Amino acid sequence: MVSTTHFLVLGAILFTIGTVGVIIRRNVIIMFMCVELMLNAVNLTFLAFARHFNQIDAQIFVFFVMTVAAAEAAVGLALIVQLARRTNSVDIDQADTMKW
Amino acid sequence: MDINYTALLPEIILSVAGIVLMLLIPFVPKESQPKLGYVGLVGILLAFCALVLQWEGERGLAFFDMVFQDNFANFSKLLFLLSVGAITATSMHYLEQDRLLKAEYFCLLLFSTVGMCLMAASADLIMTFLGIEILSISTYVLAGYRSSEMKSTESALKYFILGAFSTAFLLYGVAFVYGATGTTKYLQISRAISDMDSYPVFLLLGVGFMIVGFGFKAAFVPFHVWTPDVYEGAPIPITAHLAVASKAAAVVAFLRILFQVVPDLSLQWQQLLWISAVLTMLIGNIAALTQSNIKRMLAYSSIAHAGYLLVGLTANSTMGAQGVLFYLMAYAFMNLGAFTVVQLVARRGEANVEIKDYAGLGFKYPLLSLALSVFIVSLAGIPLTAGFTGKLFLFSAAIQQGMYWLVVIAVVASAIGIYYYIRVLVFMYMREPEGEIESVGIPGVARIVILIMVLGTLYLGILPGSVLKMASEAVNF
Amino acid sequence: MLGNENILTTLLLIPTVGAILLALLPGRNHSLIRNATLAITVLTFVCSLPLAWRLDVQNGGMQFVKDLPWIQAGGFTINYHIGIDGISLFLIILTTFLMPLAVLGSWSITRNVKAYMILMLLLEVGMVGVFVALDLVLFYFFWEAMLIPMYFLIGIWGGKNRVYAAVKFFLFTAFGSLLMLAALISLYFLNSGSSFNIVQITERLADGSISVNPLGEMLLFLAFFLAFAIKVPLFPFHTWLPDAHVEAPTAASAILAGVLLKMGTYGLLRFCLPMFPRAAVDLAPLICVLAIIGIIYGALVAMVQPDVKKLVAYSSVSHLGFVVLGIFAFNLTSIEGATYQMLAHGVSTGALFLLVGMLYDRRHTRLIEDFGGIAHRMPIFATVFLIITLSSIGLPGLNGFVGEFLILQGTFLTSHIYAVFAASAVILAAVYMLWMYQRVFMGKMINEANKQLLDLTPREVMTVLPLILMAIWMGVFPGTFLRRMDASMQKVVDRIEEVQEDQVYRVENRPLWNKTE
Repeated sequence: MVSTTHFLVLGAILFTIGTVGVIIRRNVIIMFMCVELMLNAVNLTFLAFARHFNQIDAQIFVFFVMTVAAAEAAVGLALIVQLARRTNSVDIDQADTMKW
Repeated sequence: MDINYTALLPEIILSVAGIVLMLLIPFVPKESQPKLGYVGLVGILLAFCALVLQWEGERGLAFFDMVFQDNFANFSKLLFLLSVGAITATSMHYLEQDRLLKAEYFCLLLFSTVGMCLMAASADLIMTFLGIEILSISTYVLAGYRSSEMKSTESALKYFILGAFSTAFLLYGVAFVYGATGTTKYLQISRAISDMDSYPVFLLLGVGFMIVGFGFKAAFVPFHVWTPDVYEGAPIPITAHLAVASKAAAVVAFLRILFQVVPDLSLQWQQLLWISAVLTMLIGNIAALTQSNIKRMLAYSSIAHAGYLLVGLTANSTMGAQGVLFYLMAYAFMNLGAFTVVQLVARRGEANVEIKDYAGLGFKYPLLSLALSVFIVSLAGIPLTAGFTGKLFLFSAAIQQGMYWLVVIAVVASAIGIYYYIRVLVFMYMREPEGEIESVGIPGVARIVILIMVLGTLYLGILPGSVLKMASEAVNF
Repeated sequence: MLGNENILTTLLLIPTVGAILLALLPGRNHSLIRNATLAITVLTFVCSLPLAWRLDVQNGGMQFVKDLPWIQAGGFTINYHIGIDGISLFLIILTTFLMPLAVLGSWSITRNVKAYMILMLLLEVGMVGVFVALDLVLFYFFWEAMLIPMYFLIGIWGGKNRVYAAVKFFLFTAFGSLLMLAALISLYFLNSGSSFNIVQITERLADGSISVNPLGEMLLFLAFFLAFAIKVPLFPFHTWLPDAHVEAPTAASAILAGVLLKMGTYGLLRFCLPMFPRAAVDLAPLICVLAIIGIIYGALVAMVQPDVKKLVAYSSVSHLGFVVLGIFAFNLTSIEGATYQMLAHGVSTGALFLLVGMLYDRRHTRLIEDFGGIAHRMPIFATVFLIITLSSIGLPGLNGFVGEFLILQGTFLTSHIYAVFAASAVILAAVYMLWMYQRVFMGKMINEANKQLLDLTPREVMTVLPLILMAIWMGVFPGTFLRRMDASMQKVVDRIEEVQEDQVYRVENRPLWNKTE
């Protein structure tokens, strides 16, 4: 039997992977994917709780998160394309015109 | 439970205005696109009228219990409309000057305002999330609006990655709070928490994550690292938008959550906020000392001001909350004014934004400089201006709660702050310009905006009573 | 005639309205602007005079009181509450008296005259405001707001190093006062959040209805004291003063020395002593020692200054040390002497700065070595300067003597050692002032440039004449002034004595030779 806890732990693991990824990776696309991973970890957590409480609220929340994530992806990818056009790379360290 | 559309009338008007604007864009020639800002202004004005109409209206929950209709929401919306109105008005000149002839800019501003209004009124974490995202996605685009400039793209990208990152934290926090209480509605969560005998780890973690999420949005130290780069790279009016309205929205949403959702956990969050307040004030002020770019200086100063706001939040009292609202209003007036002047002095492509470019401005443009002096003096917190009364009310709240050390640190931080603020005055009035001062064009709309901001700053500084009264009614949850 | 309760408001309004009117005048017409400012300041002075004879000398409390609600919302009660007593009366008149003279002394300003005069008027509002405010927030309001005009006066119209001096002045004062802000908010909540009323809080602290533990009292005292000590300036917080004085334009120096420094000592008398007498008594030995160090240090440093203005600036450190010593000697004689010394110093040092300014306008130097023997060319100037020099030294018959004598007499009752050290500085004062006078005015005229010097113009005579008359009046009829201070000072002293009675630390009131034989 897969319990709520299992889902939560999986969610936590995914969230951690995502967090670490955003912090250590320099490739913007990978960083962006890691953020998506974090969001999906959240979705998983929501669904686990929804199943636990036997409620529908959190499932609706998940739909919202997915929609918003899609909108975010549209904007984010556009920005990444702009960076790539300008520097011919998707390395975030290329974006360093401003320093202290 | 019913749909009460009037509760969201300002938001609906703003959205409609945004959509109308979008539909108009194809019919307007390129050169006059910046003029479409007037449509945006009309929308904001109508939303303002709607807000005034419902000012005395019914109170309570509306829209399937998704939003509050209360003084707090109204006060915050007033603040947002005022600030976005000023930004829209000054942006028209900016877009023309920098040849950014795309009026989608104004739609995005309007939509971001909708997001902010929803954040302030929200009664459900889903709504809060949606508000934050509507605001954030619009501002990601706006920050990168000078697409021909590397700086602007960089600013937008950094803002985007860190914004999305913080949203994920916020959401994870929401998920945990939901897991601990079984609901996402503010009042029900708060009831569930007060029924608990001991607090599950989930709940504390969830609240912690939410604080992290809001900390990012409002640029509280240690979650402030994105601020200087993003503020420096974004177009000046958008920097003002981020520093004033967007930050205010994050703070009011945060305030509502602290006071209406998790008041029972105040012992825990007060400690976190105490530490963050101290760090925010000190780091913001100290880092601002060394800046030579005025946008970056104002960015750090806005971090410092977030620190003063945290002092009010940490106090966890009615007086603290009302102080925060009052300070946000004061901060809006003085910062919007300062940014407007910075924008006017800046040349095309955002040259002339170094502090040394202000040398000799004082006697060449006496009125403009006088206005900037008022804003700077106010940011420094000297009496006669809104900055002083705001600080007085915030620090009073902390002292009322016996947080003497916090206030001592706050006044030391303010004293440090005075140094970099008066440096601007030194350059304006006491240094000779290196070359010829370039002439500054001041369009009529900008004149009106600056005049309103000066009057507002002085009014809040000399006769703060009426606004303070509004703020104190607003925090009467 | 003005009603009693409206006089003080009028004093605040005239310069404010004047500044606004001035802003509307055309900026090019310098003489119009100068004369208008002069008229406004003279009018203010005339309006302040009734205060002196309408003051009820028997009543030590606040008079001419006006109390209106200002900010009443959200748990705050802040009032526009103003009034004066014997302590503040003459400081206000001193302010309004010096202002027209400072304006007269500003004729040599030719750059941005309008902005200069507007700032002068705003400065006057701030200074009067500080002395009349009876609400803590209102007091702080004026106290800080006044920094801005002074900052600009020094920073824009000052000498070579003006920016450094202006910023230093601003930062020092602002830093000190921010802690005071925290302290006064604390007082509000200790007063159970009912008001910022200074009189009420003082009374409640005295009768014990506001109770503060000794540590709290000490911290509150220190927060206030730091703000005032920086302003006075008490050694070792004095370093901003020589810079600010030397760089400031003539009139600003005169006002700075004449009035601004008094705001510090006034604060000590109005807040530190009556509100926190225990802390004051506990810390008195330390403060007295600092004051004495200041007195002697100021005098010694003044002696070696090559620059006349800097010399006068350091002499201020020394004189103000006397004032602080007088205040912390805790008896009626010394405190009245201190207040008298504040006024006398305002008159004579204000005059000295104006005189030095006149010299500077002619030669564009203030170095003592550039002069010598100029009495031959400028007999009137030399005479005037001598009178003021003597008044600054404290020659009997002139204003400086009364204050110093009373302070020394009072201090002697408290501690002989303090008095002895302080008295030695009186000699030093004579040395540095007269030596400077000798090197500047006496002897042979060596420097060729001085041969072209012209004597005082009628305007300049008009500037210093009132000061000389005042110096003589204050020297000959001190009763005019002391009589009106008595009752209010007595209240302060009573409060201190109440505390001293149940304190371990007692004033040594024994004569030196009273040995048990």
